[in-house]
Order: sequence, then structure tokens, then C-alpha cells
Amino acid sequence: MTAPALLSVHEVCKRFGGVVAVNDASFDVTPGSITGLIGPNGAGKTTMFNLISGFLRPERGTIAFGGWRCDGQPPHALANAGLVRTFQIPRVLTRMTVLENMMLAGTAQPGEALGAALYMPRRIARKERDVRAQAQELLQLIRLDRLANDYAGTLSGGQRKLLEFGRALMTRPRMVLLDEPMAGVAPTLALQLLEHILELRATRGTTILVIEHDMEAVMAISDRVIVMDEGAVIAEGLPAEIQQNERVIEAYLGSPQVAGTAETVGA
Amino acid sequence: MDIFNLPFWTFVAVIAGIYTIFALGLYLQYALAGLPNFGHIAFAALAAYTMAILVIRVAAPLPLAALAGLLVAVLFSLLLGIPSLRLRADYLAIATVAGGEIVRYLALNMQGLTGGPLGSIGMLGPSKLAQYNAPWDAFLRRIVEVLKGNPALASVASRDFAMLLVVWTLALVLLFLLWLMVRSPWGRLMRAIREDEAAAAAVGKNVFRAKLQVLVLGALLGGLSGLLLAWQIGIITPDDYQPTFTFYAYLILILGGMTRIWAVPLGALLFGLLYSGTRFLNVYPLSLFDSGDRAYLRLILVGLLLIVLMAVRPQGLLGNRRELLLQ
Repeated sequence: MTAPALLSVHEVCKRFGGVVAVNDASFDVTPGSITGLIGPNGAGKTTMFNLISGFLRPERGTIAFGGWRCDGQPPHALANAGLVRTFQIPRVLTRMTVLENMMLAGTAQPGEALGAALYMPRRIARKERDVRAQAQELLQLIRLDRLANDYAGTLSGGQRKLLEFGRALMTRPRMVLLDEPMAGVAPTLALQLLEHILELRATRGTTILVIEHDMEAVMAISDRVIVMDEGAVIAEGLPAEIQQNERVIEAYLGSPQVAGTAETVGA
Repeated sequence: MDIFNLPFWTFVAVIAGIYTIFALGLYLQYALAGLPNFGHIAFAALAAYTMAILVIRVAAPLPLAALAGLLVAVLFSLLLGIPSLRLRADYLAIATVAGGEIVRYLALNMQGLTGGPLGSIGMLGPSKLAQYNAPWDAFLRRIVEVLKGNPALASVASRDFAMLLVVWTLALVLLFLLWLMVRSPWGRLMRAIREDEAAAAAVGKNVFRAKLQVLVLGALLGGLSGLLLAWQIGIITPDDYQPTFTFYAYLILILGGMTRIWAVPLGALLFGLLYSGTRFLNVYPLSLFDSGDRAYLRLILVGLLLIVLMAVRPQGLLGNRRELLLQ
């Protein structure tokens, strides 16, 4: 791939006390690609997401997004630059409605400034109408439109995952980091979610980096797969290559029984 | 005292109006944005003391002194907020508890500046009674004059009645303006921060800036209520700024119903009623206690009433019970 990377992680390290969570990890994500990030529990995948999205600062190494050196930048700056994430345990705003959860993520709402409601009510109302329409459209897409006026706290775990996915899309991101988007989502809905992810890339050219434990899903949608183990990137390549990679099978899939399943999954 | 004592209830209503403004500050910070401020009274203390010191010591014009008071309250909120708002909410709670007490102890111990335990009256030393209230009283007298010109109002026109008008006009205007803000996208952002600030940050919201805004806004309201209370009472002492007063404001929010802005004046009136109304509980068997003991009994009764209310209606008068139960 010759296109310059949209996201470039270079020799990044992060430790928590004595635990090395991410150890000299480097990889690139090309624009418009879907990249799977896999690895056993505790491999450092979510820490990597936290580093990329600005929730943690790396101790060493650099992260660049669209050529912009972004490590050490606060999360909101990254989100505004077009790099948006979801969380492994969904963070929905429970005592706000589903629609409000979505509308919060609308961009460039001048009504979020202090006191703006007092001197530009019309401009705010106009923008709110656009944001609401956009939110309702997305809610239809993720099939939560019937629950728009329910408190998000009444949603099931899977619905919360979907809401978070939809909320991330509200910001019209250039790149989305999805942390286990399918965990806890019902199988049929999970399939639809996969379709949404593919469609998102097809229609908007959104770049996607996804952590997922569902191997079948990862191998099916990813252009490339990155494998982490014990904080380091141990392999990187096309899904078919990764499935054949001995080191990956050993580190990630472990026992022969599970390795056996690996041969049957994927393309 | 007769239960139908108009001057007494006028006074209670004035205090309830001042408490409305005081509690509105806490409503924005805590009920709306989820910032636990346990030193809200410090903003009132700083504004009142700054105003009093400037008027008494340098003969500053009252409006200027009042503005300076609000400014000091805002600066103090920045002092508390800038180091602690980037951390978890607990740290703001700690900072405000400590901050509130520091302000009170400073007022108590910087005798040369604040008059020490005597309060504003001792600001010019023991030989001379100091007071800051003359311009405000003159302002109220002018309102009374105008009221007396109207035959319908002539019979009720008094200093406290004029104060009642001033305080409740201010309270209602502020309520209306803040209501507009709370239901705007700004209010939504604040509620999102209360629910989960990481989620708000993850979709591009500058959480630190938003929290600082609401902290400063709350400090302004706290400061304003401090000024009004100082003008109403006519003398301030460090004892008027005990942490208890911050908790009264929390009571008002809880009574009215945490998440509704219009519940704030309702809670303030109810609190004023509970707190002052129990004064009239001098019937048998309570009359067996002498009045000094009854004063303590009153606090016990207020507590009891609150417990009953919480058991029967945990969401407060206007609150939403479903919202309370969500995780």
C-alpha cells in the first residue's frame, strides 16, 4: 500500500506501575481501510485505543493522525479533528434520552457556548433542527428510532453498544476506533452492524480500526489485521496471512483445539 | 408570636428568595453538571466581605463594591476549579469543603481586615460601629416611597416588602434566563458531563472548559445571594457562613426535586416554611419545653420531616422518579 498512513503509531510505550501495557508498538492505518486489532485478553488493545484517542499519554513514541502529531492532545481535540472512539463498556448518558445522546455529538452547535441561548436562539434552533434530523436518520440505521425518547439507561447492553456506535457517527468522523462493537449484540443485529461498518467505509470513506474478539467477523470485514500480544505488535497482514501465522496461532489462539477452529474461520 | 404575622412572613419570603438564588448556583453546578460543591457558602462570604470591606474601609460606592465582591467570588471559584476540575469529581468536593472553611477561618482571624468574630460591625475597631448598609437602605427607602404613592400598596409598604420585590424580581429573572440556558444545547452538554464526562470528551466536547463555566456561573449566583443576604441582615459575621448553609441549599434541591430548575424556588419556599414555620410549634405537648430547648427540637423536627418526605417521595416535589432509578 503506497498511500500515506492516516494513523501512524510509532514505537509507543505505556506502563502502569510495573506493568508494561504497550511495549514499543508500531503500526500504520491507511485511509479508507478497515483494520482489525486482535490479541488475547490483556494484550494492550484497549490501552492502545486509549493512547490513540488521547485518554492516555504515551511515555515514549509518537502518534500521528493525518500527519498531525497528536499524542498528548486531549480527547476532545482528537474528536474534533475527526478521530472518534467508542468504549469497550459502553458509556451512554443514562439519564438522558437516546435522542439526546445522539444530539450531544452533533458538531459545530453554537448553542454549546455559555449564554448563547440568550442572544442567538434562532441560529441555535436552526442548527438543532439539522442535528435532530441527522440523529433520527442514524437512529433508523441502527434501529433505535423507536426508542428515541426513552432514557438511555433503559437500554440493554447490546443496544447501548449500538447507541455508542451511532453517537460516534454523529460527529461525521474521518476515522472511528471501535472497541468490541459486537460484544453483547444479538447475532442478527451484529451482522447488520457489520454491514453498517462496511457501508460507512463505502459511502463516506471512513477509516475504521476495530478491536473485536469475534474472529469470523474480524476476518470477514478487515482489509488488514494487526495482532498484539503482551503489549507488542507481533504480526500484521492480510486476514488470510494472519490465520496462517504460527506465532499468532501460538500466542493468540493457544491450545490446538482453538487453533483447529482458526483454520475453519474466515474467508 | 402570632402565626399571621405579616412582617415575619415577609422576612421569611425574602430569605427564601435569597436562598433561591443561592441554591440556583448549586443547581447549575451539582444538579445540572454533577460538580459536587460543598463550599458554596464561601462564594457568598467572599462577595459579602469584599463588598463590606470596600464600603467601610475605602468608602467605595456600593455598586462598585458589589461588583468587586462578585469578582472575588469568581476568582475564588477559578482558584478552586483550575487545579481540581481536571481530576475526578471527588477532588472538587475536597477542594470546596476545605476552601469554604478556609474562607470562614480567614474572616474569623484576620481581625484587622474583617473585624474578626464581631464581623462587619467591628471593622473599624472596637470604638466605632462600622456599617455598610446605608446606600442600600436608601435605595429601599426610595422603593417604599414609590409604593406608598400607590393607595393599594400603602398599607403593606415596608423596608422588607421593598426587599421582597427586589429579591424575587431578581430571582425570577435569573430563573427565566437560566431556564433558557438549561434547555439549550449548553444545558445538554452540562447534563452529559454529569452523566459521563469521558463520553462527552470522546465526541469532541471540551469538558474542562464547560465545567469551569458552570463553576464560575454558580460562584456568581452564590456571590449575589451573599450580597443580598448581607444587605438584608445589615451585619455579617463569620458565623453566618457555616458549612450548614451549603447543606441547606442541598436540602432545597432535594426538597424541590434535583433535576428541575423550577423546583428550586419551590424547594426554597418549602424550606423557609419548614424552618421558620416550626417556630410556631408552641402548642402542648411541645410547650412543655422552654423556648431554648424548642429551638433544638425545631431542627429535629425539620430533619424528621425531611426523612418522611424522602421516604414517601424520594424524587422531591417536582422530580422524576424514573430518572432517579436509572443506572
